[in-house]
Amino acid sequence: MKLAKNKLQQAFDLMAKEANLLVPMKIEGVTKFAPWGAEGELAMDAVNTLLPPKDALFPQTEKMYKYKTRLTQVESLEEIKETDKQIIFGIRSCDMHSIDCMDEVFLTRGYVDSFYSRKKENLTTVAIGCTKVLPTCFCDSMGLNPVAAPTADVQLNDLGDYYAVKAQTEKGEALVNLLKPLLEEGDGEAAALECTLKVNMDGVQKKLMNVKMFESDIWQETAQKCIGCGTCTYVCPTCYCFDIEGKECGNEGYKFRCWDSCMFSEYTRMAGGHNPRPSKKERVRNRFLHKLAYFEDRYGKGSLCVGCGRCVADCPVDLDITMFIDKVGALKEAGSND
Amino acid sequence: MSDMQAKLRETAKKLLESGEVGYIIGWGKGRTNKTSPVFVKEPAKVDELVWNEYCLNTLAKYTMDNMYPEKKIGLCVRGCDSRAVNRLIQDNQLKRENVYLIGLPCEGKKDPVTGEMVKKCIECMHHNPLEADVMVGEPVQEKGYPDRFKDVEAMEALSADERYEFWAKQYDKCIRCYACRNVCPACNCRECYVDQYRVGWQGKQNNRAENQVYGLTRAYHIGDRCIECGECERVCPVGLPLMKLNRKLLKDANELFGEYEAGMNTEVKPPLGTYKLDDHEEYM
Amino acid sequence: MTNHECTCGENPLVPQICNVIKITDETPDTKTFRVQTLDGKKPFDPMPGQLGMFSLIGVGEGMFSVTAKGEDYLDFAIKRCGMLTDALHEMSVGQQVGVRGAYGNTFPVEACKGKDMLFIGGGIGLAPVRSFIRYAFENREDYGKIDILYGARSAKDLVFKEDLYTNWPAMKDTKVHITVDCDDEELACHVGFVPAYLEELAFKPDNRMVVLCGPPIMIKFCLDSLTKMGFSNDQVITTLEMRMKCGIGKCGRCNIGSKYICLDGPVFTMAELEGLPQEF
Repeated sequence: MKLAKNKLQQAFDLMAKEANLLVPMKIEGVTKFAPWGAEGELAMDAVNTLLPPKDALFPQTEKMYKYKTRLTQVESLEEIKETDKQIIFGIRSCDMHSIDCMDEVFLTRGYVDSFYSRKKENLTTVAIGCTKVLPTCFCDSMGLNPVAAPTADVQLNDLGDYYAVKAQTEKGEALVNLLKPLLEEGDGEAAALECTLKVNMDGVQKKLMNVKMFESDIWQETAQKCIGCGTCTYVCPTCYCFDIEGKECGNEGYKFRCWDSCMFSEYTRMAGGHNPRPSKKERVRNRFLHKLAYFEDRYGKGSLCVGCGRCVADCPVDLDITMFIDKVGALKEAGSND
Repeated sequence: MSDMQAKLRETAKKLLESGEVGYIIGWGKGRTNKTSPVFVKEPAKVDELVWNEYCLNTLAKYTMDNMYPEKKIGLCVRGCDSRAVNRLIQDNQLKRENVYLIGLPCEGKKDPVTGEMVKKCIECMHHNPLEADVMVGEPVQEKGYPDRFKDVEAMEALSADERYEFWAKQYDKCIRCYACRNVCPACNCRECYVDQYRVGWQGKQNNRAENQVYGLTRAYHIGDRCIECGECERVCPVGLPLMKLNRKLLKDANELFGEYEAGMNTEVKPPLGTYKLDDHEEYM
Repeated sequence: MTNHECTCGENPLVPQICNVIKITDETPDTKTFRVQTLDGKKPFDPMPGQLGMFSLIGVGEGMFSVTAKGEDYLDFAIKRCGMLTDALHEMSVGQQVGVRGAYGNTFPVEACKGKDMLFIGGGIGLAPVRSFIRYAFENREDYGKIDILYGARSAKDLVFKEDLYTNWPAMKDTKVHITVDCDDEELACHVGFVPAYLEELAFKPDNRMVVLCGPPIMIKFCLDSLTKMGFSNDQVITTLEMRMKCGIGKCGRCNIGSKYICLDGPVFTMAELEGLPQEF
């Protein structure tokens, strides 16, 4: 099936009736996925939105439960359940894969995270194939294809005046069915697309998992320029670490979770003051190892870096993970310093 | 420009070879046009240093990673960096004898993506280093920045509601990455109040109220000590116009306590850090 | 997919409300809190070594090892060392708290069967070890000789005094060795650091497992001593602590390498720890 581009707004209106529709928007200069109808301009040509769509499933701040207390007693404690239907329209292959990675974290290994799983069940994803790449894009080096996101519910591909529309799951079929009045017969293949930035991940994960690598000088050299802000982690579509905190007012309050950053000193500091990752060397090491080695070791689903290039583009000091990958790749053996 | 780069490398080499400095903090090549801070330890590696129109980062704050260096730290300084050095010295975060300043007059830098002069450099009032142990290159003409408070005046002309709406929109964008704080040479507290979550000064939730609390607290805390390097605004991933806020406080401080520019030297103390009997105190 | 065994419902991050039914002063800075669900049951059924997330609603949550379980209660021994624990120490009986768990792996109680056991605890480090000691006594026939070596800074810092002086020495084939760093109250016990006393007691490594928990510096020197005495790394079991928030391997902060301490730990043999990055 195909959808004429001039019917896009009609399609949005149809979908917005069914669910909270998130589309790429530019709001106050920031591109992100925002509800259709929000004040701002549609940004379908933003190859990569500045902010990733992860907050649809994992909001930066998410209320978990609310409570009331009276002196020493807890009068009530009630879980907050969000069950609104959501559609992310226009998600790119890299961001789509980031959801696959978060699924592994939040839905497997013994515990299901209820807050995430409820949102995931109610989410339909419409991926759109890229037609151009940014200088910082390197998703194909990380095993992805910029024009195909196999796990998305619906795949769109730009064919000029039309989008080719292909349902890839049951949820996707339901959505295509909803859009049927606007669709036309027809098909078309997306033109292949290649990133200009290339990295070679061959052997990198294995080298990094070698315990000798942990004490390598490479970490000090790499981390030296880090200023310890959380930009990389907050623009990253796969950074999922969170904190749990509370907010109380009088005798009632709520517990919430919020994005946290492994780049912050407070992240691992324990109540007694001990911090197993006391300086930026340890923190950068942990972040890069998590992205490039630990995740694969734990979940067996490849790297936690999807090659979207956001951290490369936005790091205030240009601490570039692609240059780090190159550097590790060029090492003669794990743990060596040249 | 390339003459200066050659001279910079030559100077760096001499300093490293003679053992005058332990290492040199300067700019190095990134993957694209971008440059990135580098730390050069060996004379053989001075070619890693670059000096071109894209050397954007301020460097002085890196000295805080090594407060007790064995040898002096060689630090490349433009006007803004030299003011940052003064800032750190005045705040007791750096000892002058621990740094060897390599002065580089600077005509302003460009955005590596757009190729246009960046805002912070358009607004620069001191292109030449205020202090240096050695100068690389000839001083450039100072242009000043007559429009220093123009943005602030435009904000002041708005009604309180309009101003609130403006800043509400801005702080709705804030992702609280703290890049503004971490890059700022005036933000040099050993432990930021923000990181004292257990005490509860600052809620960790991202919403307008908490984001504004953070933004205002930071603005007030650096208030009269801001050296106007504009780095906070440059690094903000969501583009908050932070210099409007910083300059509002500078403007108010100037009006209340007399003309003052932070980081011009290490002698004159910031107005809010000193008490005079004839200080204004209407706000108390 | 089965979530945890808690009675609080499906969501593993939401605590169940419990009553504090007993508070025991162990030392000037350690108290044991006994908790029970509102309908008089134990909140969950942990195995030795497992953890529980304990919260004072409105103040905060913290991960603690479960020191003991009874028919209808759980005990948490908690040392005062921060904002949350300060607040917990202000509680009185009848206070309602939030509890969720059980989290983490367990001491290898099965693999230790038929072996002599040496339990070494330092300071509050006896708290996690105690769950295994109690388990061994409940299943006394499954284990051989039991030696418990416990050290604290001074006599007033000894935790679980009733167990140390009365209950445990009365058990069959059991010896309790107590040492304090400095003898300020002329207590009738050994004076000196745990590692030195350990060497003095000269335990034989044959068919023996060691459970070791205490401050990092004590663990380090005890390990040296144990190695000297002929113990191998797979005979020594310890528990780790890291800062935790979720307890279910999601929030990310308690990792050592690709392992999450809240899920894959906190119990490790020293041999397992050697294969991990040294970052704890």
